[in-house]
Order: sequence, then structure tokens, then C-alpha cells
Amino acid sequence: MTAPTDSANAPLSFSGHEHFRHRLVLSILSGRPVRIDKIRSADANPGLRDYEVNLLRLLERVTNGTVIEISVTGTAVLLKPGIIAGGPVTHECPLSRSIGYYLEPVIMIAPFSKKPLDLTLKGITTDDKDLSADMIRTVTLPHLELFGISDGLELRIKKRGSPPLGGGEVQFLCPVIKQPKTINFVDPGKIKRIRGVSHAVRVSPQFSNRMIEASRSILNEFIPDIYLYSDVYKGNESGKSPGYALTLLAESTTGALHCSEAISEAGATPEDIALQSTYSLLTEIEQGGCIDRLHQPLVLLYMVLGSEDVGRCVMSEPTARTIQLLRDIKEFFGISFKIAPHQGSQSNPPELLFACYGTGYVNANRSLA
Amino acid sequence: MEQQKHKPHRQSQSRATADKTNGKGGAPTSFNEKAFAPRSGRRADRQARRTAERDQTRLHVPLVNRTPDDDPPPVIVAIVGPPGVGKTTLLKSLVRRFTKQTLQRAQGPITVISGKRRRLTFLECNNDLNSMIDIGKVADLVLLLVDASFGFEMETFEFLNILQSHGFPKVIGVLTHLDLIKKTSTLRDTKKALKKRFWAEIYQGAKLFYLSGVLNGRYPDHEIMNLSRFIAIMKFRPLVFRNSHPYLLADRMEDLTPREEVRLSEGKCDRRIILYGYLRGTNLQQHSKIHIPGAGDFTITSSTRLEDPCPLPNIGSEKLRKLSEKKRLIIHAPMSDIGGVMYDKDAVYVDVPGTFAKGINEAPLGEGERMVFALQDASTTLQEVTSNKPIRLLGTSTSGLATGEVPTQTDQGWESDSSRRDSDSTLSDLEDTSADAYETDDLSERRSMKSIPPASPTEYDRRLYFAGSDSDDSEENVSQENSANSVTGDSPSNDDPEISENDLDDAPRWKCNIGTTTLTKCGSGARPSRIDWFKLVYSSALTPTQILQGAARVDPPDAEDDFFVPVPGGGQIVEQQDATKEPSIVNSNERWSGVGALDTIRPQFITGLGDSSDQRRGSEEPDVEGNFEDLEPNVDGGDSPSTIQLAKKESLRRKFDELYEDPGASGKGFYDERKEEMAKQSALNREEFQSLDENMRAAVQGFPPGSYLRIEVERAPCEMVENFDPTYPIIVGGLLAAEERFGFVQVRLKRHRWFSRTLKTNDPLIFSLGWRRFQSAPIYSLDDHSVRMRLLKYTPEHMHCYATFYGPVSLPNTGFCAFNSLTPESKGFRVSATGVVLDIDRSAKIVKKLKLTGVPCKVFKNTAFIKDMFTSALEVAKFEGASIRTVSGIRGQVKRALPKPDGAFRATFEDKVLMSDIVFLRSWTAVLPRKLYNPVTSLLLSDKSSWAGMRLTGEVRRSEGYPTPSNANSTYKPIARTDRHFNRLKIPRKLQGELPYASKAKVMRPQGKATYVQRRAVVLEGEEKKAIALLQQAKALRKDQIMRRRQERDRKASVRKRIAEKEVLEKEGRKKRSKQEHLRTAGIKRKRDIESDERSQRQRI
Repeated sequence: MTAPTDSANAPLSFSGHEHFRHRLVLSILSGRPVRIDKIRSADANPGLRDYEVNLLRLLERVTNGTVIEISVTGTAVLLKPGIIAGGPVTHECPLSRSIGYYLEPVIMIAPFSKKPLDLTLKGITTDDKDLSADMIRTVTLPHLELFGISDGLELRIKKRGSPPLGGGEVQFLCPVIKQPKTINFVDPGKIKRIRGVSHAVRVSPQFSNRMIEASRSILNEFIPDIYLYSDVYKGNESGKSPGYALTLLAESTTGALHCSEAISEAGATPEDIALQSTYSLLTEIEQGGCIDRLHQPLVLLYMVLGSEDVGRCVMSEPTARTIQLLRDIKEFFGISFKIAPHQGSQSNPPELLFACYGTGYVNANRSLA
Repeated sequence: MEQQKHKPHRQSQSRATADKTNGKGGAPTSFNEKAFAPRSGRRADRQARRTAERDQTRLHVPLVNRTPDDDPPPVIVAIVGPPGVGKTTLLKSLVRRFTKQTLQRAQGPITVISGKRRRLTFLECNNDLNSMIDIGKVADLVLLLVDASFGFEMETFEFLNILQSHGFPKVIGVLTHLDLIKKTSTLRDTKKALKKRFWAEIYQGAKLFYLSGVLNGRYPDHEIMNLSRFIAIMKFRPLVFRNSHPYLLADRMEDLTPREEVRLSEGKCDRRIILYGYLRGTNLQQHSKIHIPGAGDFTITSSTRLEDPCPLPNIGSEKLRKLSEKKRLIIHAPMSDIGGVMYDKDAVYVDVPGTFAKGINEAPLGEGERMVFALQDASTTLQEVTSNKPIRLLGTSTSGLATGEVPTQTDQGWESDSSRRDSDSTLSDLEDTSADAYETDDLSERRSMKSIPPASPTEYDRRLYFAGSDSDDSEENVSQENSANSVTGDSPSNDDPEISENDLDDAPRWKCNIGTTTLTKCGSGARPSRIDWFKLVYSSALTPTQILQGAARVDPPDAEDDFFVPVPGGGQIVEQQDATKEPSIVNSNERWSGVGALDTIRPQFITGLGDSSDQRRGSEEPDVEGNFEDLEPNVDGGDSPSTIQLAKKESLRRKFDELYEDPGASGKGFYDERKEEMAKQSALNREEFQSLDENMRAAVQGFPPGSYLRIEVERAPCEMVENFDPTYPIIVGGLLAAEERFGFVQVRLKRHRWFSRTLKTNDPLIFSLGWRRFQSAPIYSLDDHSVRMRLLKYTPEHMHCYATFYGPVSLPNTGFCAFNSLTPESKGFRVSATGVVLDIDRSAKIVKKLKLTGVPCKVFKNTAFIKDMFTSALEVAKFEGASIRTVSGIRGQVKRALPKPDGAFRATFEDKVLMSDIVFLRSWTAVLPRKLYNPVTSLLLSDKSSWAGMRLTGEVRRSEGYPTPSNANSTYKPIARTDRHFNRLKIPRKLQGELPYASKAKVMRPQGKATYVQRRAVVLEGEEKKAIALLQQAKALRKDQIMRRRQERDRKASVRKRIAEKEVLEKEGRKKRSKQEHLRTAGIKRKRDIESDERSQRQRI
């Protein structure tokens, strides 16, 4: 007879280092082993980078029974996922990537753990590649609330850390749910308010006020309801390196969020940074949709994990990450989305309506004992 | 002719009826409103509260029903009962009632139409426990047959317990053989007793039907009609497990393995089987994982929706008042002997029971027939036979025919054959070459397509971007794909892109340029407005960045020309990082700082002025759900001022209501809101994908429940086909993502109170959990003061305990039942435990107590050196600081390892210990369940009920004759404790003299002389003598009285004893008589069974 495990144990294979995090997350959620090979095999410096190995280590800590095998050259990884355990975890992130790199996959799996997750991450809180801690707190977590994950969901920024030396610390608290709610989010609404956080550590506190001034000079033309907070961290809490950034967030009447961020660069004035951030917020708003472009993968993943009902969401055009995630979701869960232009779309590349039939994913890790 | 005189109708004597007929009591013609009006305010209040409470008890937790209302799958009606109770008779009667057809052999599921909106699938359950378990998991309604002349049997109770642990479906009891009870009073009493027991088992008021005798091999028509009406209107509440898993009851199985492969492997190769059945539960994805109970886990290779073989009559004609007689005749029973025509995806099977078809009639065969049948059994071809053995013309001839010529002849035959094939292929090659110019048949066209070089990039892109826009083109594609598939038998998903790519070349010339022209028109950066994102994402080979960059398609390097391909950038690749944020758009500053640029997005803000329709959308009450469609007539288009006025008023009223009404008072409580929400969601589920075509819908949504599916499964074990028996149900259960995994499952378990033995840790137990039946070795545990999970050697009595075993994961809250053995030979009640899943993990935290003992090797004051507890200093180091204790109760602590005897350590105690003390350390050691998972593969056996899994150790020992090993130290022996003898303490006289008085031994010598009291003489006087004599007499009297009393008591006791003995004798006699009676009825029943068997055999003959 067919062994019961052979189909379940046959790992899915992928190549290349791109979309590494998505594949790990999908593997852990679906419980299917994954083998990723040819990781930078043609590169002068082949194999996994330190931050990727560190991520694997973090996932191993958050889960129970996960087996990770890395080949000798580091160009291939085999992950046999265990169950998501949660509980208190402290993790030190390397300085090559910021905390957002680690928090993003963790946010995707944390609600399906056995115990509420209490994760403390140490490292860089804001950089130009990944979502900053501010963005995750103000934008990513509200996106989870769409799916009924709200009670006890919190991100505390205890210390800020700018690149290159970091020194920041955040605490992420996530509750355990049984099943995400099915969403039906088709009305983008109109932008009704804009919020923002500007912070400056180990530089003159005037920098953050200058950024706010510059940003308001443009945004005031659109809407009066603007609050841009100047978030000041002093002394030990402000990390080891100087830096400043402006995070902006626009909220619509139906609760759709759009966000943007710009962080300090060498040779740029705070005004430049503020304008950069403001303009990219406008670009984001112009794209339309109910979901911020950076959060498309998160929302689509949770739609797949919903109950066996039709979930719908209007978004702007998918990003490259989103497209690859959709393909990977099909590999792991066998679910494809209906992607059709949204009727009554205002923006120029028309907004798209993503609809899918949830897999009926239930948090099997949750304990009743 | 005189009018016939009828007997006048007898007047009713009961008062109510009499009043009504006579009109005396003034029968109420209409409802009197005042009649039940409360008399006082308090009473009114109480009444209102009572009504409210009663309303609340009516409510149940709202559950989503995943089964569609418009085209539901047939309801599975299982007929269950012990053998000889009349299951087949009932099945035949019911089928005849619904379809007016008489079945000869009723096997497998039988689907009939019972009404405009309901179909029924009848399924008879045999007496095997495996079948009972499987049927209990899928049946919507169970007809539980009970032989009233015999009473309940153990299988009935076992089945009820199985049902209970897998989400109780509806049960209707049916009492049969009532005609065998002749006496009316006995009949009444039996009915009453059985009903009481049945109600205790199911619920008070459970429906119980009575079927009297059999007429013409069926039950009486009016009784069956009543039962069928009950079945036809029964309502079902969705069961949680079935509402979250897709499943189907296979009503047909086909083996599609190539015959040649089967022949070569002598029937031992893995098979490709097709299962057909109605999908139930939830949607089934195309390639999902399934479990077939009794066979194992499989992956669906391909699944197709077939035309419904037993369609509901409402399809096509909406307004059917009642089921026409013609529609009633439809019956779908592929495993029985009806119909004979079966439809597959690409074939129609007509069952022609020819003269030489096997298995049609069991009648004894003639010699000729047997010879023909024997020929059918040949496992080798003639060629193989002749090549191995010489042919003998006659049975008696000694030497065979010379077959030297034969092989060459056959070779020639093959050659000629192959040459013919060659010529065929050359012919098709010819056709291939001409395929570009001419229309040829599909097969050759397909081949020719493969030979054509890939399309140019522009064409390729055009296909991607315009695939959805050009309906003609896409239709053409689909039809061609279909025809190609039907010929080659490929699955449509395999080479989809390839085919469609190649199909393009057939497109007319004018179409080919469209892409390029539009691209040039739109400019290089801009993309055409209609992009089929579904195709781009799911069925194009482009990478995501290529898709986003649009037309920029990278040409594949010519690998054949250059052996070494230069790496672009000379090794210094700019690494594409896995970054969430995209690099900020450089030109965004120019984009937004331009004049009027900001105005373009002004409409997106609530302050911005957009067009009128836009304004309305923005200003209206925001709704997160967002799927409200405005059903009111278009206000802007309305011309009459009155309608505008009305609409204005209406909107004002709505605003007012929103402001001042609290949501609770709107008459909609939590319950109604929840139901409304569910209805809305299910309407959305129905409508969202309706516009898609069939294939895409299947890809996005899967197959909805109610569809008739054909499921193809590869690598099924050959025994499943070889030992196929239609009386055993084949169930295809869909698995959720989590259920394919394995881990340690923690369950709450209770031994069944009817199971006669306790369960022992690590003994194998057969679980029926989820779809699966498997054997595993659980270990039992109890929560020890919330500190630890402590191992239990045996399950406790009358109590729940935890059990942990290794096996497939099931969601928490799934019920299960467990068995020690599934074979019919095992005596007594077979359900050994029931319970529910609590937790899934990859490790288990169960501990058992471990006492380490040691003895002192040297004792100081409060310090002692302990040896024999550990074997090395390392072990001691691990236990440093651990608390230890002596048997006498002196507590202490492990301090430090000693260098000299290995494993010895220094310990301190609260008091001085003795050398003879035993010191022990109480610790806990982790226990992991054994990783045993043994699926019950009963469907693969020829004798399906005889599955025997891993045996208990005791069973193995018994059958192999091994003695039970016993540790000599563990046996109980009588404890012989010798009395400790203490010598007298002798103190030398000299020493004694020197001792102080306080320390001197004070030894008292016994009295030597008689004392005064002993020595004195007593002389009695007259009065005293008299008194003593009187006392003596009184004592003598008393003594005599007591003696007589005792004698009397003994006499009475002996009488009582005699009576009791007599009673015991009588009781035994009664018992014996009742036993005889019981055996007699059992004998009659057995006789009747044999007779019925013979009758059925006769019928078959």
C-alpha cells in the first residue's frame, strides 16, 4: 500500500534566493517540506547570507520540531516544518538587515501558534530595504485587524536603532486565533486623514520638526486632518547610530491604508527626505486599491487561509513579490485567485479585484488542554 | 325499491366531541382573544418571560451549511443492523417504493429520486465493524434495524457508540420481525421495552418504526410508505467534521491500468483506478490529498465533473408541482444489476451479460461452459506458452511438436507488424510536413505543432495580453485543446501553455499584427488596458519582473552555439535583494512637482471635488463590508419631483433611525444578525465565480458539493482492485493541509464502561479518528497538580485521562473511538474507549517517577558519603543540589562528587544517618510514545473483516509459547522477620559499685515470702454464707436461661437456613428454564436465517 507519509514528505522544490521568506512561511503554514537550491550558486560569494541563516534560526526558535538542513556550500536548504509554538522568544538580528525583515514572516505565522507569541527582536529598527518598526506598528498590524486579529496584538518600540550600528529593540505580542475572518473589502473609499511619525535619533531634534514642516507644506493642500507626530527617543533608547526618518500613513473612509516612508541619506536635508516620503505617499494613493502595495502579500495570504468562503479584496496592480507569492500559494495550497478588473475603478491602470475561495485553514496548533 | 336502512352512526361519548357535534357547549367558532389574556400585570410579565425563554431554547448555534440548497448531493441513508434482521428486504422495499423496480441483487450505493429537491442514496451496511465505522462517518440518516423478537444486539450498541464519537447523524429505529411475536400483550410489552431502551440510547422521543411481517419478499406497502415519507421530509443539521471536509461515497470503481501491464506483473502492479460519486461536504480542489479508509492516502491525479447520472427533476422546468411517474423511475446503482449503461468521461459502457460472462449466475455449469471459463483465466499468452513448452497434440503423446519454426514465424509476424507501424508513422510524417498548408486530423496537427519553432517574442506577448480580450480566439483554443485531449488522453492542464502557444500560428494573418501595432500605438512603456492577469500570473512562464516590465522579454541565449556563456556583468552581479520596500521612484519628485500634478489625485480625498457619482460614493456612509448594492431607483434619473421628495424623506428617516435607534431594539438579535451575515456570505460564494468558464472555475473554486465527480487515483494497491467487494463501502475523504502531517496527538480519553478490561500504556489500540482507521500505541497520563503530566500504567476507572500517541494530526475537538480488535471473533463489547483530540505537538511532556537509591559508605556527623546512586562524577554534577531522603525520613541534599569510588558523592542531612539506611533521590524521567502508525488496510484483504494488526505482547507470548519473563527481585515472597534478641546488659559488680546512685541499675527481686493477705484465714458467718449461696443460685439460674436462649436461636437459624436453601434451589431451576427458553429462540432465529439464506439463494438461482 502507499505509505501515508510519502506524498506529504515529498518536498516542494524551488531555486534561487529570491522570495526566500515567502517560501519558508508557506512551508511552515502548509506543513509541506520545502527544498530551495541554487541559492546564489553563480555568485562570487555563493550560498545563504548571514541574515538568511539568522532568519532560519529565528523560525526554528518560534516553531517546535522544525528540521533545517543546509548543504555544505550553503546553496541549498531543506526545511521540514514543525508546529508553530510561540511563547516568549528573544532574538538578536544581525546588522545586515533590519528588524522588519524578520518581523514580516513572523507576523504571517504568529496568529497560528500554540501559545501567544511574545517576541523580542534586537537590531536595526529602520532601514531602506524593509518595513520599519513604525510602519509595522501603524500599518501592518491594522491590516491584521481586517482578519479579526486584534486583541493583544501589539508592537512596542523599546529602543530605536538606525543603521549601521543598530541597537534598537522591539517587542511583538501576537494573540492566537482559530481562523482568520473572511474579508470582503471592495470599496477603497476616500482619504479622510493622514497621520505620520517622524523620528530623529542622535541628531538634532529640530530635524524631525523640519521634516514635519516640509511634509505639511504639500499635504495641507489636500486635507486638513493631518497629525504628524515627532517621536523623540533619548539617551540609551536611541540606539548607537544617528538617523532620522518620516513615515506617512493615509487612511480612507472605509479604513483602507496607504503608507510611505523615507529615511535619512548622506547628503540629503531633512526637507528632501520629507518631500520624498510625501511624494511617494501621493504615488501610493494614486495607485488606488484598498490595500497598501507593500502589504498585498500579507492580505492575500490571509485570504487564502480563511474559511471556505469567498473573500474579495480590491488592490492596485500586483508587485513582483505579489505575483510570485500567488504562484507559490498555488504550489503549496492549490488555490488560485480570480483576478479581474474592478468595476467602477477610478485609477488609470484599473484596480484589480482579487477573489479567492479560502482553504478552510484552521489553527491546528491551538491547544484545548 | 325500498330505501336501505343504515345503522345510525354511534354518537361520540367523549365530552369535547359530543359538545362540538351537538353544538351544546357553544363551541368556539373563532379565536377568543380574551381567553388567554393575563389577569394581572405580574402574570403578564411572567408569561412574557416564559415565552422569551422558550424562544431562546429553540435557537441553536448558527452553523454554515456548505451544501448548496439548489442542487444538493443525495442524502445518504444507511441501513444498519445485525445479520438476518431484514436489511436487504427493507432496502428492496424502499427502492420499489421510490422507483417501482424490484432489485434482484442490491449491492453498493443505490441512488433514487424521492422528491423535487431530494435524492436518496441507500446503502446497506454489512456486519463488519470496519464498514460500520466508515458508514457512520458519511451517513446522513441511519435506519437502525432491530429484530424485535430477539432484542438489541451488541453490534447495534457498538454502532451507536461509533456514531456518537463521529458527530451523531439522524437515526430512525426500525423494529422488524414483529409478526413472530404472537401474543398481543407480549408484543405490546416488547415494543414498550425496546422503545424505552432505544430512547435512552438516542434521545427521548426518537422515532421508532414498526415493520410487521414480510409479504412477497417485501414489507407491507403502507408501512414502507410511512417510513419513506418520513425519510423524504427529514431535515438535517450540518455536522462540523463533514462541513469542513470534502468527501464522496464512491458508487463505482473502474480499473484503468493498461491490461498488458497487469498481465506482465501477474496482477501485482500498482493500479490506476477511477472512482465515481457525488461530492459532499465542502468544495474539492482538483489535485487535493485524499484518504480512502481501509486503503490509504492518495493524491488525486485528475478529477472531472461528469453529467449527473441521476439528475433532479427540477432542472430545466422550474414549475413542477409534483414528481411525475416517469421521473420516478430513475435509479442509479452501478454496483447492482440495474441499468447496464454507464457513462464515463470519454466512453459509454454497456453491460451485456453474455453467455460466457463470468459471475452472472452461480448456477452449476456444464462442462463446456467451464472449459470456456477456464480459457478466460489464462495468465500468459500463447506465444509465451509455446516458447517455454513444446506443444503436445494429444495428452498421451510423449514428445512435443518441434517448434523450431514457430519463433521465426512469430518474429516475422512482429516484424510485419512493426513495419506496418513504421509505414504508419511515415505516413503521418508525410502528413506532418504538409500540415502547415492543409487541415488534417487533430492528432497529426498536434504533432506538427510541436515541430514548429517557438513563436516570435512579439507574438508571444500579444497572446499573453490579449488572451482574454479576443473571445473568438480563446474559444477556438479551448475547442482545439479539448479535441486534442480527447484523442491523446492527456490532462488539459499538462501542456496548456504549449498548445495555446502553438495554436496561435493558425490564427489569420491580420490578427498577427494586432499586437505589434497596438504596442507601437501605446508606446513602449504603456501597456494595453486589458490585461488578463489570471493568465499572466498562473499560466505564463514569465518571471514576475518580466510581467511588470511588460514587453521586455529576455531572449534565451543560444546555448548550443556557445559552450561557455558569459555571465552578464562579469561576475559582479547586482544582487537582487529580498526587500519589501521597492527603491523609491526617482522621478517622483518631477512627477509631483509639475504644475497641476497634485490636482490629478484630488478626487481621491474626501475634500476633493470629483464627478457627481464619485461624490455620492464618497459621501455616503462608509461600509467596511462594502458589498451593498443600492437597490433603490436611480434618484438622479428620476424626473418627477414627488419621487425625489420621497427619496429625500426616506434618506432623512434612515439617518434619524441610525441616530436614535439602538441596534438591539431593531428586532434583530445576535442570532438573526449572524444568520443574515451567513446568508449574505453564501450568496456571495454562489455569485462570485458564476461568470467564469468551467475550467477556470474549477481551478479557482474547485468542485462544489453536489457535483458528480470522476476521480482518478494513481498507484492504488492492486489488492484494492483484486479484492473489490461491492458490499464494502469505498469512501473518499478529503484531507485538510494539517491532516497530512504526523505528530504526537494528545487526546482526552475514557475507557468505555462496557469494555471489560482496562487499557494498558503502550498496548496497541485501533483508533478511528477523522477519516482514518489506524493502530497506534498510546501512553496514558494524568495531570499531576498542574505541575507535570504523569504517566499512568493503566487507564483509571470511571474517569477521563489523557492519552498521547503518534499518528496523523487531526484538528483539536475532533472526536474518536478506539478498539482493541476489529475482528468479529473478539468477544464482548468492542469499543474500548472514546474521546476527543486536545492538542497536537512534535514532542510530549509526559514523565514517570524514577527513584535512584544509594547507601552511605561513610557517615560523619550530619554529613555522609553516599555510593551506588550514580555511576560517574558527571551524573553527580547534574544532580548537585538535588534533595534526597533516607527511608527513615531524614532529608538531605546532594553536595559534591567524590574522587574515589566512581559516582559517590558527599551529602548533608538534617540529622545523622545510619549506615544501614537507604538514601533515595526522587526524580522524573520523560517518556515518549512509540512511533507506531499502522493503518487498517481492511479494504485490501480478501477477507475484509479479518484484519489483524500488531498484537499485544501477551498475545504474542501466548501464541508463540514464550514464558512471561519475571524478575526474581520483583516477585513477592513471605517476609520472614527474625525477632531481634537483645542480650542482658551485664554491669560488673565493681563498676556498679562505683556508679552514682542515679545511674545504678535498680533491679527488684520478686517477693519471696507470702504476704499477709495471702497468709490470713477467712471464716464466714451465717449471714454471709446465706448471701453467697443466694448469689450462686442466681448465677446458676441466669446461666441456664442463657443456655436455653441460645438453643432456641440455633433452632430458628437452622429453620431459616433450610428455607433459604430451598429458595436457592428454586431460583436455579427458574434460571435454567429461562436459559432453555433463550436458547430455543436463538435456535429458531438461526433456523430462520438459514432458511432465508436458502430462500435468497433460491431466488438468485
